[in-house]
Amino acid sequence: MFLMRFTERAYVDYSEEDVRQSFRSAVRLTFPNAHFNPSLGADLYNTYLDEYEYAEAVGFDGLMLNEHHNTPTCMGAAMNLEAAILARTTKRAKIVLLGNPLPIFDNPLRLAEELAEIDMISRGRLVSGFVRGTGIESWATNTNPVYNRERFEEAHDLIIKTWTTPGPWRWEGKHYQFRVVNPFERPLQQPHPPIWIPGIGSPETLVWCAQHHYPYIYLETDPQVTLDLTAIYTEAARQVGYEPGPQNFGYLVRVHVQDTDEKAYEVGKGFLIGNAGVGRVPLPGDFMAPPGYNSREGARRIVDQYRRYALRPDPLYGGVDSAGWEKVVDSNRVIVGNPDTVVRKLREVLSVVRPGILGVWTNDGTIGHEDTMRCLSLMEHDVLPAVREMGTELGLPGPFEHAP
Amino acid sequence: MPEHAEHAIEVGGARIHYLKGGQGKPLVALHGAEGSLGWRQYHEQLAESFTVYAPTCPGFGQSERPPWLESFTDLARFSLWLLDALELPQVTLAGHFIGGWLAAEMAVMSPRTFDRLILIDAAGIQPRDGEIADIFLHGQEGARQLTYFDTQQVAEYAELFQRKPSKEERDIHTRNQETLVRYCWKPYMFSPSLPGLLGRVQLPTLIIWGQDDRIVPLECSALYQRALPNARVAIIPHCGHCPPLEKPTECVRLIQNFLTPGALE
Repeated sequence: MFLMRFTERAYVDYSEEDVRQSFRSAVRLTFPNAHFNPSLGADLYNTYLDEYEYAEAVGFDGLMLNEHHNTPTCMGAAMNLEAAILARTTKRAKIVLLGNPLPIFDNPLRLAEELAEIDMISRGRLVSGFVRGTGIESWATNTNPVYNRERFEEAHDLIIKTWTTPGPWRWEGKHYQFRVVNPFERPLQQPHPPIWIPGIGSPETLVWCAQHHYPYIYLETDPQVTLDLTAIYTEAARQVGYEPGPQNFGYLVRVHVQDTDEKAYEVGKGFLIGNAGVGRVPLPGDFMAPPGYNSREGARRIVDQYRRYALRPDPLYGGVDSAGWEKVVDSNRVIVGNPDTVVRKLREVLSVVRPGILGVWTNDGTIGHEDTMRCLSLMEHDVLPAVREMGTELGLPGPFEHAP
Repeated sequence: MPEHAEHAIEVGGARIHYLKGGQGKPLVALHGAEGSLGWRQYHEQLAESFTVYAPTCPGFGQSERPPWLESFTDLARFSLWLLDALELPQVTLAGHFIGGWLAAEMAVMSPRTFDRLILIDAAGIQPRDGEIADIFLHGQEGARQLTYFDTQQVAEYAELFQRKPSKEERDIHTRNQETLVRYCWKPYMFSPSLPGLLGRVQLPTLIIWGQDDRIVPLECSALYQRALPNARVAIIPHCGHCPPLEKPTECVRLIQNFLTPGALE
């Protein structure tokens, strides 16, 4: 079992009313950056880096970062910079980037260079995840969403070839053309850093991952839906001749520990202010998925998958107004409690989803630094060792124990 | 009442649908960003005097898109090919919004193919002061609200936009949106070189604009007129971005006057 810690590094000094006042009442894309206070931002960036360093100290195997644009829900607009800092200030944990949104890069070679530097500075601890990005990333960078998947796949192929094929050589693709591909600095890990792909279950991405033997990291998907998505991956893997196991799958879930169930229950509500919380003001659908971003077949399948389990309103993403915090907690979409409670609930989730990688989203929204540090501290002795044992008992090897 | 019918023709390996009706000299009417909305009142009125061809551009509606056709420039080249296939030399070309932009690009590429040009609230030229409204960012409902000066004066509004669409219509809408994004995402709704190239187009041109267009600013009518050597502008008051739907009678009257021999100074 590979255990990685995650937070979106939220900026939270804004109100729901502020969101309602923004263009199309959106917390992302058009939410005015006049609401951002750089002084507070400076404090937050440093605090979040401190917390990641502490996460390594308490025993996490990986430090997971992500990237979004034009949003207070995630301050990781230039994730590779944070990764580069952690590459230098930490010594043991993997730097897990989930991930760089490939379609928005007009120069993937620059990205290949940045990632190679991070891999070398960290002495081979980079896990280089790639994503298509949400539709917001397409809007924010004016990248044509119709070509999102084409650009994702071509940029991926170009980066992998850049890392594995001695230069100089030439690339004449549909979306990228380079006369002389020959970045001098190459990654330390050979043939290249591990590639993991996070997402919420685009069938095309699941199949593509299976074909490439890349672990797929489910981002807070409903456990029952997750099993259906895993079946898609498994079928595709069998078609190319292998049987995937837990090492091919990861699962990200919000987990907050405090000394008592009662305190965790109260503090954990902070999760709902931010990504899911101010999501009580729903984002316009075409912001997250502009025309052409999803294939029509892919969009149909995603909707069908979710409809089958009557997840409208989703207990998590429906927010407290529609589902209620109690239901969110009862359904294990957010796991809060004292260490014993959290371990018990994690067993319920891991037994069903069976991932070899567990992403532990410890804090977000209005959960403050002090509570976060206490959460991490409690995890050191009372949660992480138990989850590791559980991983062994349930037969959930991570991708560094068993090649995916 | 002039009859009309739907036809299809193969061009460049793609089956292209078009509506044809009326009698008289041929007039090709290119649709706007929502794709073909069918045979509308303004088609009907134009068909009293002309043989109206209303093609559905590749990738919109039922018209196929060849996989290699991905840019607005190629759309213009392809549309000229369509006119070849329809055997329509010396035709009058009209277009609204992206259809107007398309008409302008086609005229630049092959001015001798046309005898008259009609641009209605046309995209294609970057405004100097304002901006072409981002209909993608506004979303479907937001863009519709911006489109009309007063939906009460759009006689066909309820029929077109206020009934529950069928599954087939929803699929077509999705396809239209994807196609529009493919052709027009960036640069958004204009070609930087078009004003320079329009100097080649000596055709008599009528530029029709809704005075209260909140999608393509009124200033663009003047920019078109400045770029085209032989153009005049007609402004329709109390009208938004879509004169063919909002003021069909005035719009058609302007066109008929323009196309009547000797009407152009």
